[in-house]
Amino acid sequence: MLLQGLILTSHREYAQAMRQGLLAVGDPQSRVDVELDALRAMQLVPQQYGLILLDTMLDAMDGLQLLLLLKQQAPATKFIVVSDAPDETSRAQAYQNGADFLLERPRTPEAFRTAVDAIRGLVERHFDGEAVPDTQDGAITSITDIVQTRCLSGDSVLLLVRSKHQSGDIFIFRGEVFHAQYPGKSGEGAFYDMVHWDGGHLRVRALKLSHVPPRTIETPYRELLDSANKSGVLDTGLRPPTGELLVVAGELPLDSKVPSVVMEAPPLQQTSPAKSSKLPDITTSGETPIPAVNSHWKINLMGELVEGSQMAEPDRCAFITYFIFRKMADVAVALEVDYFNDMTLLGPHLQQVLVADNMGVRHAVFETAWTTEDLRNQYVQWCCEQSF
Amino acid sequence: MNKAFEQIALIEGMIAASFVSSEGKLLGWCSNSAISPDTLNFIAETCRVILSANRAEQRMAETGVVAFGNRTLVFREGETGIFMAYLDSPTNDAVLAWLWEQVGPMLESEGIKLNPATA
Repeated sequence: MLLQGLILTSHREYAQAMRQGLLAVGDPQSRVDVELDALRAMQLVPQQYGLILLDTMLDAMDGLQLLLLLKQQAPATKFIVVSDAPDETSRAQAYQNGADFLLERPRTPEAFRTAVDAIRGLVERHFDGEAVPDTQDGAITSITDIVQTRCLSGDSVLLLVRSKHQSGDIFIFRGEVFHAQYPGKSGEGAFYDMVHWDGGHLRVRALKLSHVPPRTIETPYRELLDSANKSGVLDTGLRPPTGELLVVAGELPLDSKVPSVVMEAPPLQQTSPAKSSKLPDITTSGETPIPAVNSHWKINLMGELVEGSQMAEPDRCAFITYFIFRKMADVAVALEVDYFNDMTLLGPHLQQVLVADNMGVRHAVFETAWTTEDLRNQYVQWCCEQSF
Repeated sequence: MNKAFEQIALIEGMIAASFVSSEGKLLGWCSNSAISPDTLNFIAETCRVILSANRAEQRMAETGVVAFGNRTLVFREGETGIFMAYLDSPTNDAVLAWLWEQVGPMLESEGIKLNPATA
């Protein structure tokens, strides 16, 4: 029996339809999550899913590469790769990277039925007869008690949290809550939602955390738990309790609530230790010369420092850029637009310019006293030329 | 506050605007699209976190301008909260100055003073 499935795709309508199909494959207890953001998908714990459907191309990410990573983490999980136009090369690559099945994306109701039948066959072969241990996610317990205990002990753990309808993860690092997420949401909001699932009594399994998780929650854990207790059940009505994916069609009336899919969080990725030495100096390779800046640097989409110049604390520089990038990705999702192109922060002493492309983010710091709009524009132009 | 935002909504190119108090309360908002007050509150809070993080890094900033294609999100902190405007156009320093000229008196009539612009 399929207990828990995940669909990784950037096609919302397909996700909605396929989710319905997969729910029909399982029993009423089955749950199917949808993740539309590939980078955030890398933060999910694939071991919790029995079946994962993923596209060969997920926005800016190669789905087959993601498959390779996920398969290494969750060898027991069955993977179905969905391709818009499968050819022999992609088929071979998919199976080589660990796919159990390759499917052409269904586009008609009949094709959907055929696809779901094929998936049902795979599921029946692999999951039926497999007893699902009742203790898979641990005993039902108070989530706030667990968080408090772990934080008091100064633990570094990943809590896999499961309610009747949803599941998510809470990352505790050295006694502080660093990050919380469930499909469609992350950060403090996700934490507050999760502690109220099923009245706060959930199945929780703890895994030792061996790496520094991304940090989306800055509030100390005591404050976080206090706020969670005071806030009561946060039923905003924005998210159906079943995790139903809502498809946004056209503009909504002014008083409409925001559908759950627009509350997605930023792509998150483990922040690797930034390279503090041997950083290549940024060199000029376009027509526009780089303007005089106090310092500037570039991170990739994983938050790693790629290059930089005149930075006092490279690690902190990379961190703050990544932090802003993630926060702005949140905003972009809320506004239903693409990631920001450039961002300017104006202060009394310093001005900053961040320029994002699909490879990373460049960040420059200028002295307000002698910085003009032209200089800032010149930096943006220079960044664009570097992208090419 | 609603009166100020009724006027702010009339500013050319204004898609949405809001003012969120330092305590995180949405004190005023307007929207000419499907952007909900919850979303505006969330965005303003996110912008505030960004400014706060920059302060912690000794790079104090009170104004932010973010280009999303041809649309622009502008935010600016005041003593009592943060103001945010989402515009249907690119901006430059002149447009920003023009915007503050429009918005400043409207907010001040409601007792809200934004920090001095540095652009």
